[in-house]
Amino acid sequence: MSEYQLLLQRYDPEHDNEPRQQRFTVQGEHTTSVLDALLYVQQQLDPTLGLRWSCRMAICGSCGIMVNGIPKLGCKTFLRDYHAEILIEPLAHFAVEKDLIVDMTQFLAHLSAVKPYLINDYSGTQPHKQTPAQLAKYQQFSNCINCGLCYSACPQFGLNPEFLGPAAITLAQRYNLDSRDNGKAARMPQLNAKNGAWGCTFVGFCSDVCPKQLDPAAAVNQAKVESAKDFIISMFKP
Amino acid sequence: MQILQTDIIVVGGGGAGLRAAIAAAEAAPQLNICLLSKVYPMRSHTVAAEGGAAAVTLNSDSAAAHFQDTVSGADWLADQPVVEFFVKHAYQELVQLEHWGCPWSRLQDGSVAVRRFGGMKTERTWFAADKTGFHILHTLFQTSLKYPAIKRLDEYFVLDLLRVGEQVVGVLALALNSGELIQIQAKSVILATGGAGRVFHYNTNGGIVTGDGMALAYRHSVALRDMEFVQYHPTGLPGSGILITEACRGEGAVLLNNQGYRYLQDYGLGPETPLGQPENKQMELGPRDKLSQAFWHEQQAGRCGDYNGHAVVYLDLRHLSRTHLQQRLPFICELATAYVDIDPAQAAIPIRPAVHYTMGGIATDINCQTTLPGLYAVGECASVGLHGANRLGSNSLSELLVFGRVAGEQAAHYASQCPAADSKALSVQSEMSQRWLNRRFGTNATDSVAKLRRDMTLTMEQGCGIYRTGEGLAHCQQQLQALQQRYQQLKVTDHSKVFNSELLQYLELGFGLDVAQAICTAAMARTESRGAHQRLDSGMTQRNDAQFLCHSLAHYQANALPQLSWQAVQISSLPPAQRSYGTTDGAADSGAGNTKGAKA
Amino acid sequence: MSTPVSARKPYQPKLGRSWWLKHNYYRLYMLREATVLPLLFFLGCLLYGLYCLTQGAAHWQSFQLFMQQGWVIALNLLAFAASLFHAKTFFALFPRVMPLAPAWLMISGQWLATLLVAAGLLLLFGGWL
Repeated sequence: MSEYQLLLQRYDPEHDNEPRQQRFTVQGEHTTSVLDALLYVQQQLDPTLGLRWSCRMAICGSCGIMVNGIPKLGCKTFLRDYHAEILIEPLAHFAVEKDLIVDMTQFLAHLSAVKPYLINDYSGTQPHKQTPAQLAKYQQFSNCINCGLCYSACPQFGLNPEFLGPAAITLAQRYNLDSRDNGKAARMPQLNAKNGAWGCTFVGFCSDVCPKQLDPAAAVNQAKVESAKDFIISMFKP
Repeated sequence: MQILQTDIIVVGGGGAGLRAAIAAAEAAPQLNICLLSKVYPMRSHTVAAEGGAAAVTLNSDSAAAHFQDTVSGADWLADQPVVEFFVKHAYQELVQLEHWGCPWSRLQDGSVAVRRFGGMKTERTWFAADKTGFHILHTLFQTSLKYPAIKRLDEYFVLDLLRVGEQVVGVLALALNSGELIQIQAKSVILATGGAGRVFHYNTNGGIVTGDGMALAYRHSVALRDMEFVQYHPTGLPGSGILITEACRGEGAVLLNNQGYRYLQDYGLGPETPLGQPENKQMELGPRDKLSQAFWHEQQAGRCGDYNGHAVVYLDLRHLSRTHLQQRLPFICELATAYVDIDPAQAAIPIRPAVHYTMGGIATDINCQTTLPGLYAVGECASVGLHGANRLGSNSLSELLVFGRVAGEQAAHYASQCPAADSKALSVQSEMSQRWLNRRFGTNATDSVAKLRRDMTLTMEQGCGIYRTGEGLAHCQQQLQALQQRYQQLKVTDHSKVFNSELLQYLELGFGLDVAQAICTAAMARTESRGAHQRLDSGMTQRNDAQFLCHSLAHYQANALPQLSWQAVQISSLPPAQRSYGTTDGAADSGAGNTKGAKA
Repeated sequence: MSTPVSARKPYQPKLGRSWWLKHNYYRLYMLREATVLPLLFFLGCLLYGLYCLTQGAAHWQSFQLFMQQGWVIALNLLAFAASLFHAKTFFALFPRVMPLAPAWLMISGQWLATLLVAAGLLLLFGGWL
């Protein structure tokens, strides 16, 4: 057991005008995650602490927070990897509702905007054929858990919340690359637009923080290539 | 108080809720659907299902075989017409999901791959690597965005059902981000709120799996059916209970005790299968109840290892190549590395059973309809009659799809015909609820929501665990009654409105306590051993069909113990017989062979 | 019935001008973007040289003298280093955007191609061919 100081950013919209910091002392062993520590604070020290969490196994995407300034999943970040004092804040670039809970409305709107579903005329009663090689083309991008860490890593989203952002563009690319899909034409207008793929300046931090190693930066820049191709092809169309 | 009007309310945004909402939108496009969930839909616990979804797929397989596996897996407590309907429709639902984009794992020729699963006679489990639930949930969520009729209310918590007479006409919900109550009126309501694994201390479930929907229906006099059957998953990580999928064993993983011995052969599941050659329904591919029970015996005999104070056995994957592990079980590799610091290619993973699934739930008929007109239930919160005394792995993901669709279509049909209810009485009910809610706030001398919850989960773990005794259950019931009394005194100390976690947890705890009492009461009344319900008391260690081949129904009584009644099991074609695993029948036997060569 | 005034008051943090100083990652990104500055200087030199070439021998000699000054050499060396740094980051990104072959193969291929082109140009303009 080692002792850790959690420096938590608190914000109570009913009393505070801006966030403040509060210090808590917790005990941690080898397997104690930051989420475990936060739940200890909530259950034992201060029931008013607001945070989102559920699965504890890095798949539901609820518990995104900033740990020492880096976007992380609380459940997959361990106290053992830090020194005695740890700064914990809500995900950057999002509006803070309370303590570590941010407003995800815009994020959800961006996801919906790219038509993230298969578009085709298929009407058979049997499954499509899709070889493992065809599956491998988009599989990685289908593993996004919508945790939002990449948006907190992306300064372009921080500067312009209208920017579709890494996860949404990755999702568009996931469907564009699917051999069963014919919906690219319907998705390109979103990607071609000012707040689409070209809003990205390839900072690349999104790929660094992605807890599922999706490489969203690659997806976004693949979308740029597609967008450029789309533009050139459209020049030759009557 | 804000009032919202819609046609169908779906409570819960997991696999069942999303499938129901889509089915309703397709069945009756003119209807408005309100999909309400206490979390964003993609956070729902369907996301954590790993292994796969079952459906008859191979030419060598048959609906009859899937039917037999499910009924005998259920220890004959499944309603056979329901199972028949299920096995008949599972394939088309998995294909539907394929058409919606689910990235199912494939064979070289591009067809969908199937894997082995515990208790299944043959390979029939569709999978998307080892994140099947995740992919099903995200595919459904993303597909739901296509339907303008589906309006989402994310992060709304349902406090109560609205009723006019016997008819359910809406819900009363708390907007978590503002703390305001909202009255949502509708013609039909589908509960798809998931299980109640969080009433136990060690479980594989997410923090949100608190039994809310079960308690909602229960408090309105809908019975909870077969609540004594709680599935322990044999392979959870020690301490956290994080799920290590059964697909590991389907791929060939073996279970070892602290002497490196494959102990399952001592529990009627043998003989030992060669390493890397798993046989269906044998050894590690036995059903979950048997495997969890075998662990308990090993622990009693002192043949478990120790991991940070937890008794464990070991799941050994070392004989599988790293490439194979990365391809078929990438998430398991990630979880083992992160949470127990073990590389499965190099060391065995310490595991132990943890509560995983509530077989019982809100009693419904085959159309997912409850006894209250206008109220439907589906998924883990419901008991449609599919799982009986023990669920087979990979049947529940298919259940979400098959019965999610049924619930959506039935609710849409009902809503299209049903006249709008008189909503005058609803304001009275809503205002009463608002006043009730206002009275929850105050101060506590010593108690807290967290303490009370911890006491409940430990009580349940002790009294309603893998093996149960009359004495332990009676003690558990007493404890639960004491906890209910403490709950009546308990106040919410955080008076804020925006994302008041303490209030949310207080409400969930109230629901959980009711569900826990139903579980314990039903377990006391069932004085036999069947499937996941095992009694140690003398004369109760065997299945007793003469007396107990029937469903238990727990009926809510305000401020008193639940009342219990019994309901006949529907048996259409497969008469009760001994459940048997291991070689004496099973894998090699493709006929109706579960009835012969039985082993203890 | 009336809708009550919401207790919500989301706090929207603002990203200041110095956002890029917050992380090493952002600083490295800005450094990559800043490689354009010494390269601009190099480009200026190149254009100036071409202009001088068209204006006769005297101008060309003054250009050569300009290029021999210590600070000009230093800036051009900086531009060279900057272009190598930029190339390194670009070559690493390329296989992620166009996953045509294994990343290591594409990265080493790009360096090899750069080396070959540079050598060819040196041989050509160095007068050895």
